[in-house]
Amino acid sequence: MATQTAHLITQAPALSPERPVSWPKRTKTRLSNGLEVILAESHAIPKFHGQLSFRSGNAAVVDRGPGLAEMTATCARTGTKLRVSRQIEEDLRRIGADLSSSAGADTTGIGFAGLSELADPLLGLVDELAREAAFPEPEFERERRQKLEEVKLDRTQPGFLASERLRKVLFGDHPYAIVAPTEVQVGAYKLPQVRQVYQEFYTPENALLVMVGDFDTAAMLRSIENTFGNWSGKKPAPNKTADPAQPKGRRVYLVDVPGAVQTQIMAGCHAITRKHADWIKIGLTNSLYGGAFNSRLVMNIREDKGYTYSPRSGVHALRQHGYFSVSAAVRNDVVAASLTEMFYEMDKLRSVPVPEAELADARNYLTGVFSMSLATQDGLLSQLATVALNDLPDDYLETYRERVRALTPADLLATARKYFDSANMQIVVVGDRTQIEDQAKLFGDVEVYDAQGNRLSSSLTSDGLLKSAGLISTA
Amino acid sequence: MNRHLIAMEYATLSNGLKVVIVPDASAPVVTVGVYYKIGFRLEPQGRSGFAHLFEHMMFQGSANAAKMQHIKLINSSGGLLNGSTHYDVTNYYEAMPSNALERVLWLEADRMRALKVDDENLRNQRDVVKEEVRVNVMNQPYGGFPWLDLPPVAFRNWANAHNFYGDFADLDAADLADVQAFFKTYYVPNNAVLLVLGDVKADEGVALAQKYFGDIPAGVPPPFADPLEPEQKEERRGHVEEKFGTLPAMAIGYTVPERRTTDWCAMALLDQALHGGRAGRMYRDLVLEKQIAVEADGGIDDIFGYNGPTQMVTRILHKPEYSAEKTLAAFDAVIHEIQNNGISEDELDQLKVKWRSDYFSTLEGGRGGMPRYGLMHLLACFTLFDNEPKLVNTILDGFLAVKREDIQAAAKKYLRPANRAVVFRTPVKSHVKEAA
Repeated sequence: MATQTAHLITQAPALSPERPVSWPKRTKTRLSNGLEVILAESHAIPKFHGQLSFRSGNAAVVDRGPGLAEMTATCARTGTKLRVSRQIEEDLRRIGADLSSSAGADTTGIGFAGLSELADPLLGLVDELAREAAFPEPEFERERRQKLEEVKLDRTQPGFLASERLRKVLFGDHPYAIVAPTEVQVGAYKLPQVRQVYQEFYTPENALLVMVGDFDTAAMLRSIENTFGNWSGKKPAPNKTADPAQPKGRRVYLVDVPGAVQTQIMAGCHAITRKHADWIKIGLTNSLYGGAFNSRLVMNIREDKGYTYSPRSGVHALRQHGYFSVSAAVRNDVVAASLTEMFYEMDKLRSVPVPEAELADARNYLTGVFSMSLATQDGLLSQLATVALNDLPDDYLETYRERVRALTPADLLATARKYFDSANMQIVVVGDRTQIEDQAKLFGDVEVYDAQGNRLSSSLTSDGLLKSAGLISTA
Repeated sequence: MNRHLIAMEYATLSNGLKVVIVPDASAPVVTVGVYYKIGFRLEPQGRSGFAHLFEHMMFQGSANAAKMQHIKLINSSGGLLNGSTHYDVTNYYEAMPSNALERVLWLEADRMRALKVDDENLRNQRDVVKEEVRVNVMNQPYGGFPWLDLPPVAFRNWANAHNFYGDFADLDAADLADVQAFFKTYYVPNNAVLLVLGDVKADEGVALAQKYFGDIPAGVPPPFADPLEPEQKEERRGHVEEKFGTLPAMAIGYTVPERRTTDWCAMALLDQALHGGRAGRMYRDLVLEKQIAVEADGGIDDIFGYNGPTQMVTRILHKPEYSAEKTLAAFDAVIHEIQNNGISEDELDQLKVKWRSDYFSTLEGGRGGMPRYGLMHLLACFTLFDNEPKLVNTILDGFLAVKREDIQAAAKKYLRPANRAVVFRTPVKSHVKEAA
């Protein structure tokens, strides 16, 4: 290519005019048996992604056994009336498909992806798992033992211990307090319970099928009707639990992990559901606080002070509640310093209006990231499913960016005051007690637990110090 | 069978910078990547972890964009950014609404032209990197297992065998002179490829590359040390302590044949037979049927993304009631079965369909909210290693041509003890109860 020396450009070029988003062809319908169906075409690769969701999860059956919906989802792929476990797994591979089944607090889902040319057999298999799972006894026993090992392993992970404790503290007696079963609870699972959950949850009236990918919508609708059309079943009875109260006053919960070479901090307070009118406001406020790389918290405790690699904040929506949290894994000697900065940035957002220029940047960030999330099959799938499962308006995605752009500094100030409840934040620190308890005490009364969840005495009895040997994290 | 072809423009600027443009106007977003052909494998001896530390420094400021400006300009344009250090490449990538394309190209060109960082920046990022190592390795159960544990056991050439995340003493020893020397040696346009994928036209993409990168002077072609391994004669074993987890673990790594050979394609399908999720033989045998292990999976990590010795690795967490030797014997039984009996035509067909399907997913898949990462990564590696980005359209053929006998032959030839390393990661006495 010809050498042409242009003048060195020493300033960032301005943004050119934005191009409009062209929304993919989208169809929403309901079969006569109540199954809600959403389809969107996306032809980037000759594949498709799908998700069959049920609007019931672990929270609905917590009284029978924490994690029972998850256990049911796990076992649902281990045998049907027609196929044994090994056959299911080989048949998936035969059609080039991936499949997962799991349950969260509010929903159960069978996720799948496969080649367009082999869509029908995959739909057939998904249908079989949804209504003809056989729950063979030996498979159940094996998955239960497997689960026991998983829950033991969880208790060695600082991130798990922090979020487990925070949820307990924030939600008390509410089912949302429990993120995973204990070993004893897993040991108590009975096969008839799993079969019962399956009968109740896995029905077309309780289900939503979303598919995104390289298919013709009319033809895919016919396949769906042929496959799922003669399925039947009622919606399970709703069970709403009494609202948990936001704990008052700052308090610190220390989970002692002797020998930890770093401390996982996680603090949180109650927030709101996705249906709440303030949802978009809290999303934008969060992205300014600690939800983006150039957010105030990341610039402060990472890029300025070097306390941590992984600071972040987030707003977590559950169906009936939500919570706000901020977290970072920090050096043991800067636990107090990090908490101080976390509260400083929170209180600053509650006290001083965000400058208009910074707000404009944050609005751009949120709308840009949103546009990108629609550009892959599974990204679009996830957005469509979120709208439907949370009963948000049909034009939610189309109007999202306008609503972000309409927000003002006054909106953000009000939002931070309302939801970044710094005076009542519950603080969890997971680390070596001998190195961090004195720092933790500065932020409130300290309750100490071991990794198994047992409460320990509040005064330090042991001074035995155990000696021990990408650019940004996206977890 | 559906084929899936990617249309692209491939050019080389007069300073040696390679440019790959993949137009796709289906959404008004664009992904930009700059890949440099240097990873942690060939970082300087005595400076373990330096390639990764350096990657962090590339976000600390360049001639016309001070610290924070890179991150701020991209986030405030609605974009996301990241970088990552691999064995043989280091990448910097962004995705954003397409109206910010020129801004991002300007930023990437500015830091390719001149890095501008000081001691304070280096101290800051050294601290950040240490916390990264703690959160991913030192304070995690099975942290760094086996990607950091296997290489020192498996390999003899320092390039392949050292601690890629870095010993803290080496990180502490790194100074600004090291940073500028590394930049000057490896971060030259003739050792890099620029990729633009998405809402851009082919000719417009090449013209913009010329406009922003065209006047960056070419550098001396970087010297590359030879990463070849001396021939391995017997099985190698090592032991590592597990501080937090309570299950014994092991990893078995077999060195993979040279890339883009028939054997390599056969090895990839063999990998799929052994490790393809719940249908894979390892998981099926050790977890589902014999129930010795709680986890048994693995494979050839990032098969298109390396350019030197690498391994196919199986990672096993097993129940304490089974000894390490018993568990390894069960693993060996799976290997012997495939060596002695090969695989059926039906199984081979399944493996190929799944391989093709997974390949398409790689092409379409994003990373960290950024679309088209997978395609970008393959294009970059094929350009830097083979000078042939169009391999993305043909590489699949080799895997689909593998025959049953190739699989069995590869199993016999490569899954031998003398071609493997085994690392046992054994829990220290459980301290959970002592703490109560």
